[in-house]
Amino acid sequence: MKADQRDVLTGVYYIDGDVASGYGALAAGCKFIAGYPITPSTEAAEAFARIAPKGGAMFIQMEDELASISAIVGAAWAGAKTMTITSGPGYSLMMETIGYGAMLETPFVLLNIQRGGPSTGVPTKTGQADMMQARWGSHGDYELIAIAPDSPQELFDHTIKAFNLAEKYRCPVMIMADECVGHMTEKVVIPRAEEIELEPRRWYTGPPDEYIPFKPDEDLVPKMVKAGSGHKLFISGRLHDERGYPVDNEHFELKYVRRLIDKIMCNKDKIIELKEEQLDDADVVVVSYGISSRVAVRGIEMAREKGIKVGNLRLITVWPFPDERITELAKKVKAFVVPEINYGQVVFDVARCCHGNANVVLVPHGGAGVHMPDDICDAILLGAKEERKIEKVIEFKTQLEKLVFKGGSKLKE
Amino acid sequence: MITTFAKGLEKAGVKPNQVCVPSDILFEPAIVKHFGFDYFHTTRGRAIAFGTGLKLANPALKVVPFTGDLMTVGGNHFVHGSRRNMELTVICINNFVYRKIAGKAVSIETPKFSPYSTFEEPFNIPHLGNSCGAIYTARWTALHTEELADSIAEALNKKGLSIIEILAPGPDYYTSISNVNADLVRFYYDNSEIRNDEDPRNVGITPENKIIVGKFTSKERSTFIDSYNAQLGNVLGEKFTPYGIESGKKGAGGKNG
Repeated sequence: MKADQRDVLTGVYYIDGDVASGYGALAAGCKFIAGYPITPSTEAAEAFARIAPKGGAMFIQMEDELASISAIVGAAWAGAKTMTITSGPGYSLMMETIGYGAMLETPFVLLNIQRGGPSTGVPTKTGQADMMQARWGSHGDYELIAIAPDSPQELFDHTIKAFNLAEKYRCPVMIMADECVGHMTEKVVIPRAEEIELEPRRWYTGPPDEYIPFKPDEDLVPKMVKAGSGHKLFISGRLHDERGYPVDNEHFELKYVRRLIDKIMCNKDKIIELKEEQLDDADVVVVSYGISSRVAVRGIEMAREKGIKVGNLRLITVWPFPDERITELAKKVKAFVVPEINYGQVVFDVARCCHGNANVVLVPHGGAGVHMPDDICDAILLGAKEERKIEKVIEFKTQLEKLVFKGGSKLKE
Repeated sequence: MITTFAKGLEKAGVKPNQVCVPSDILFEPAIVKHFGFDYFHTTRGRAIAFGTGLKLANPALKVVPFTGDLMTVGGNHFVHGSRRNMELTVICINNFVYRKIAGKAVSIETPKFSPYSTFEEPFNIPHLGNSCGAIYTARWTALHTEELADSIAEALNKKGLSIIEILAPGPDYYTSISNVNADLVRFYYDNSEIRNDEDPRNVGITPENKIIVGKFTSKERSTFIDSYNAQLGNVLGEKFTPYGIESGKKGAGGKNG
C-alpha cells in the first residue's frame, strides 16, 4: 500500500529531527496524536498539530501522559493509526499503558526524544538512558520493537518504518531518539507519496460472528477489527484466551503471554535492521546507536588512521536485540566497544551475547553531552591491545571522567 | 446494572453495535457479550481517557465509560473530560470505599485497607462534574432501575459529557455475584430520597442525612468536536478539513466497519 498523496509533504527541507518525525507520522497516515508537551520532544507534536487539521487528522493535548497514551490505545482500537510523543518523566508515566498496549496487541508508535535523567534530569540536553526502560519498563513479560534513528532524515524515515512495524506485528513500537538527533537541523528529503510503502492494518474481513480477536495467523500475529463494527468485542488487559475472555492459570499464561514474546522473537530476522561497515577483517567492532553512532564514526576514523582494523556495527533496531549477529562476531573479533550516553545499558546485552569469546569495553557518558571522538578512539585502541580475556565489562575512563574526578574522589577507586 | 444499562440503550433508541464500553478495573462481566456492544477492560481509572481516543477516532460511536476508579486514579480525566465536554456517557459505580453513610460503615470492598472503617470525606460527584462543565448529572441507587434506565437513555442522547453516579456495593471479586451484600443494596435504596433538579451543591453524601438521588442538571454546551471544528474552521478557513460525523467527514479511524 502506498502513502496518500495528501499526507506527504514532498520536498527538500532543512528541519530538525523532531519536526521530521512529525512529518513522518503524517506521511505514514497517522490520523491521531494525543500528547502532553515535554522538552525536548515538543517540536514533533507542534509540527504535527500545525499540519494535521488540514488533512482530517487530529492532535489533542491531553491532561497528562497517562491520558495521552490511553487515548491513543483507544483510538487505535477505533481504527486510527496513532502515535504519542514524549520525553523523560513523561515516558515514565506512560509505562503502565505500554504494557496494556502490548497485552492488547495494539499497534501504536511512541516517539521518545531521550533527555538527561533521572527524574527531571537535564530537560534540554541529550541522554540515552531510557534504553532498558524501553524494553522492560512496564511490568510483566512482553516484547516490543525499539529503533534508534541518528539523523533528522532517519527520524522521518524511521517514523514511517515504526508505523509499518507496529501494524505488521501489532505491538507498540518505540522510536528511541535522543535530544541531539531531535534538535539537530539537517537536510531532510521527503519523497513522493508513491515512493513510500505503508503496511496496512491486518483487518479481519470474515463474518462478524466468527471473529476471534486473539487467534493468531501463521506468523503469530492476530487480525484486528474496528470497535463499533458489530463484532461484540471483549478486550481485556487481563490474561485472556483467544476470544479475549479472562483466564488465570499457568497453562493460558504459557500459551498467550508466551506468544506476545514469540511473535517478536520468531520474526526477529525480518524486524532487525543493522548497518555494518568493515566487519570482515575487524579486530575491534564498535556497537552504537543514535547520536553516539554519529560520534563513533569520527572515533573509528581516528583509530583506522592509527592502523587498527575496526568495524562499525550500528543498531538501527535496538530491541529485539541482534543476539545471533553479536555472538557470531564475538568468535572472530578481540573486542567490542560500546559508547552510549548512560552508565551501561545496551553494553550488557552485547556482553551477554559474547559468551566470553570477546572483550567488551563500555565508553560511558552521562546525560547532557556526547562523547569525545578521542575517547572512542582510545577505547578502540584499548580493545585492540588487550590480549587477555577480561571476565567483565571493561569500563573505559573518559577524559571527562579524569577531569571531574582528578582528585580521586570517585567512590569505586 | 448491566440489564438496566441495556434497557437504557433500548429506551434511547441506540443500537448496541454503535456502543463501546471502556471500563476500568471495576469489573469485567462476561455477560456483556450477550448485549452486543464492544467492551474494553482498560487500566485503572483510564476509562475516560481511553474512551476519548475511541470517540475521537470514530465520532459515530456512543462511548460509555463504566468507571469504579473514577474519582481516584481517574479523577483528573473526569475533570478534563467534563471541561472539554467530550461526548461520553460516564457511569460511575460508587461503592463508598471512602465513606460510611447514614452512620453505617459500608466499606466492604476493601476491608483490609480500612479495617477500622473510614473517616474521609467523599467527593460530591454530581457537583464536581457540573462545576467542571458536564452537561448532565444524575445519581441513583442500583435499585432505582426504572429511573436509572431513563437517566441513561436521556444521557445517551445528550451531546457532551454526562455523569450518572450509581450507588452500589460490588461483589466480592474472588467469590461470586451471589456475594453482593443484598442488605446493603436495599439499605441504600431505603435511605435515599428522590429530589430531581436539586442544586448539585446540596447533594453531598453525609452520614447524618438521607442520600439524595435524582436527575440534577441537564444543560447544553458546545462539545469538544464542535468547538474544535468551529475554532479551526475560523482560523484555517478553506484549508481546514472538518472533523466528525456531523460534517459528513470521517474521524481519524476512517469509515465505520
